[in-house]
Amino acid sequence: MSATTTTLSGTGQPGPSSAGQSGGIVDRAYQFLRRIPTGVLWLIVVVWSIPTLGLFINSFRDRDAQRATGWWKVKPSELTIDNYDTIFSARAGLGRSLLNSAAIAIPATIIPIAIAAFAAYGFAWIPFRGRKGLFIATVALLAIPLQVALIPLLQMFVGGASVTLPLLDKTIVLIPDFDLAGTTTSVWLTHTGFAMPFAIFLLHNYISSLPKDLFEAARIDGADHFTIFWRLVLPLSIPVLAAFAIFQFLWTWNDYLIANTMIGANASQQPTTILIANLAGDFGRNEYILPAGAFVQAFVPLVVFFALQRYFVRGLLAGSVKG
Amino acid sequence: METLERTGADEGAPDQPAASAGGTAPGAGRPTELYVKIAGGFVLALGVLYWAVVEEKIRSTLLTVIIAVAASAGIWIGANLLFNQVRGRWQMFNTIAFAVVGAVLGIVLHGNLVTIGSGNGFLTWVIGPLAGAAAFGGLGFALAQTDDPSKRRAIALGSSIAIGLVIGAVIRDAYQPGLDPVAIVVYTLVGIAVGAGLSLLLKHPPLGGALIGAALGWVLGAWGAADLGDGSIGTSIIAALVPAVLIGLRLGMTKNPDYKARVAIDNRSRAVIFIGPALAFISVMLVIPAIRTAYLSLLNKDSVDFVGLDNYKAVFDDKNSLDLTNWTNMFTSVPFILGVILLAVAVVVGVSMQKRTGRAVEIGNPTVAPLVVGLLFVCFGAFTAMRGTLINNLWWVVVVTFVSTAMGLAIAVLADQRGGERVAKSIIFMPMAISLVGASVIWRFVYTARDTSTEQTGVMNALWIGLGRLSTGSGLPTIIATIFLVLVLVGLFMVLARMLVRYGPGRAVVPGILIVLVGWLFIRFTGIVGGGVGGFQTLPDGSVGGQTVFFVQETPYNNFWLMVIMIWIQTGFSMVILSAAIKAVPTELIEAAKIDGATTSQVFWRVTLPQIATTIGVVVTTLIVGVMKVFDIVKVTTNGQFGSQVLANQMFAEAFSFQNKGKGAALAMLIFVAVLPVMIYNIRRMQRES
Repeated sequence: MSATTTTLSGTGQPGPSSAGQSGGIVDRAYQFLRRIPTGVLWLIVVVWSIPTLGLFINSFRDRDAQRATGWWKVKPSELTIDNYDTIFSARAGLGRSLLNSAAIAIPATIIPIAIAAFAAYGFAWIPFRGRKGLFIATVALLAIPLQVALIPLLQMFVGGASVTLPLLDKTIVLIPDFDLAGTTTSVWLTHTGFAMPFAIFLLHNYISSLPKDLFEAARIDGADHFTIFWRLVLPLSIPVLAAFAIFQFLWTWNDYLIANTMIGANASQQPTTILIANLAGDFGRNEYILPAGAFVQAFVPLVVFFALQRYFVRGLLAGSVKG
Repeated sequence: METLERTGADEGAPDQPAASAGGTAPGAGRPTELYVKIAGGFVLALGVLYWAVVEEKIRSTLLTVIIAVAASAGIWIGANLLFNQVRGRWQMFNTIAFAVVGAVLGIVLHGNLVTIGSGNGFLTWVIGPLAGAAAFGGLGFALAQTDDPSKRRAIALGSSIAIGLVIGAVIRDAYQPGLDPVAIVVYTLVGIAVGAGLSLLLKHPPLGGALIGAALGWVLGAWGAADLGDGSIGTSIIAALVPAVLIGLRLGMTKNPDYKARVAIDNRSRAVIFIGPALAFISVMLVIPAIRTAYLSLLNKDSVDFVGLDNYKAVFDDKNSLDLTNWTNMFTSVPFILGVILLAVAVVVGVSMQKRTGRAVEIGNPTVAPLVVGLLFVCFGAFTAMRGTLINNLWWVVVVTFVSTAMGLAIAVLADQRGGERVAKSIIFMPMAISLVGASVIWRFVYTARDTSTEQTGVMNALWIGLGRLSTGSGLPTIIATIFLVLVLVGLFMVLARMLVRYGPGRAVVPGILIVLVGWLFIRFTGIVGGGVGGFQTLPDGSVGGQTVFFVQETPYNNFWLMVIMIWIQTGFSMVILSAAIKAVPTELIEAAKIDGATTSQVFWRVTLPQIATTIGVVVTTLIVGVMKVFDIVKVTTNGQFGSQVLANQMFAEAFSFQNKGKGAALAMLIFVAVLPVMIYNIRRMQRES
């Protein structure tokens, strides 16, 4: 530390800001250079938005226009919404896949919130033996890659789960085959399980930081755990519940890996991500409706994102260790 | 626009302990606004719900989901209401709890048509549960009446004998078990051992656990192992009575708890009720499948034969996974040589810094820039010489993590307290909301390469060919561009001179590197070396035509162009987190440094950066985990062709396309092993914090 301090005071020269007045050509040029960072920032912003902008513009141009010129040469006369008509048509089926996405994302958002809120309260305010160890074990699963669970999970959804008793050659069915293979239900059930460590971690951070006096006062008034949770903790936790809800909604709406594993080729249950990926897969033929499809797919999360960005950022800041 | 203005409002809020990812502060946000948004979301959800109900197929799914959720919620709330009685009304609790157990037993036996008289419509269906509830409820009520141990023993034993006899007697012929003495003995002994062991582990007297274990073992051995239907009424009475008596004995040993014990029961049961559902989901969806994957990775492709570590060996032997045959090529590659030169510069600067400040390398001193850039160049050179999935994955992790963190940090610093900060950050953050599939589609259009005889529709190739035209042309634009490059070079030389005069050679390293890069660009552009830069080719007839780059197809550089997609998304993430951390650095520290005469960049390197080092660690670990699992981008753009395969996509292909469960599981385990250090680091950090 002492070395740093000496260097800091040892350099001792006047900073560039105090050198600005002298008016020599070098200094004036230096002043100009000092303004470059702002320019760089906005240049980055422009570069960052160009890909999306191009997609957006191309989604309103017909097939021939897209193939003839780049989107930056767009002419007002060639703008059309035909691509959107096509993508929503029965053949492309974006409408149905939007429904499927909602059928996955809505339960996969609401159900984990409830279950994780119970667990977060339990870990934060119910004293029991082994609480800390269990909590750390749960939260350690945050970083576990989902890939390690996918193969057995798919097998479970296809055929249920059973265990063969040793010595006896007898098979006991633990989880019967609910005929969930290739359905949206199997996808949101999987999401619910995978979301648990992160949700518990995020909600526990918040719920455990609520003031202790609150709980003691409620206890003295004769409130039981259920009442405290329902009347006290849940209303106070709305901001963090919202943060998690946005996070989880975006995650499940945008998921491709789990949906593709569980649903795969079952066209009637495909969410938007699979539909778009498949459109992108058959080279050339449907390329002209791809921008419109991708834009519709991104529209819902973008609306959620811009409307509730504050809560999303809060969720990110509090839980930036998700796996 | 209104929403844009407000975006990221939190990041600067002083009540955000973001630097250590420690959590959110309570009571944030304006409540009315939130309620309006929640109401809006609710209306939207209702709309979707209505839409869903119109669709026949969705309706049935929805109905199932709602029924399942409502039933689970009912059970959960019911359990809470029941255990609410523990502290104040023990007798009531005991009665209801026993009745519930009886009812469940009744449902299991009677509902599954195991008992006589079941299966004749709704009325007979209720009889079983009701009878069970009445019998057990009576037992619970009676037990709650007396504290006398001998009376309790008598009540428990008597009731359990009666219940065991009745259950044994009412089993249908088809379910009467043919007893298998060996299985019964084995399972009972195992049950006793496990039960007693668990009791000892929890520091209880072992007898209680042994009794319960024996009962469960007996049930497993007598009912589970037997051929149902082979027995008689006698065997089913034996099979039912013994465990009933064992449980009865255990019940007789208990006493009615005093208030303190009841509080303990309340807390323990509440812990199960509140945490149980989450743990159940985690075990079924995450832990047990992960263990099974580890097991499957040791079996062959159909999961029939045990093959040991062959699957892992197959991954490492595969030339597509790891190809080091040409690794010596890296010594002749330009980036490698450049990197070595830069590293040599770093050593020289480091030695001089060692003399001046006592430390060769520390955050923010001039050694860092050539060291990091040199290392990257050396790695780049190594990468171009080696191939394979594992190398690709390594590269994804190194490049995406480094570039995303560095860019995020740079943008956070650039945007800090500048006009339009929120708008700029909001736009850079936006890709986080887009799916990886969507992002891949977006960039696919950016990378499009079309035949050079037609116009380019992808931005990158259009720019590249445009640059080539500019470089090889001789018109006014070329002259302007050349003059512009000269001006930039002159400007850079001025900065270099100023740095040399004012601060000495140490601060001149960065402008020096920039001058070398821009100078090289200038030499290439004007055609002093080579014919120019950009996408052009000399056609057979001597004229100059366009030359596209196949960004997605050209190995190995296509990997980097795919990484750009991930960087485009993840930079926003690291920017938001690092920006919050920068704003959380105490202003007094910065003021003090400025008073001591530190320049802006010195403040950044010497004060801000060390302060946010922990947060950078969080960002880096999060990015590593995220990048290790990258799947969507590769799947959508190349599906692993053109030498761009990564572990996650290969795992998906092996397990679900080629149906090779063993190899797929082995690849999944490799991904797991790769993120294991990060998991351990996270656990360590959490243990320190709590």
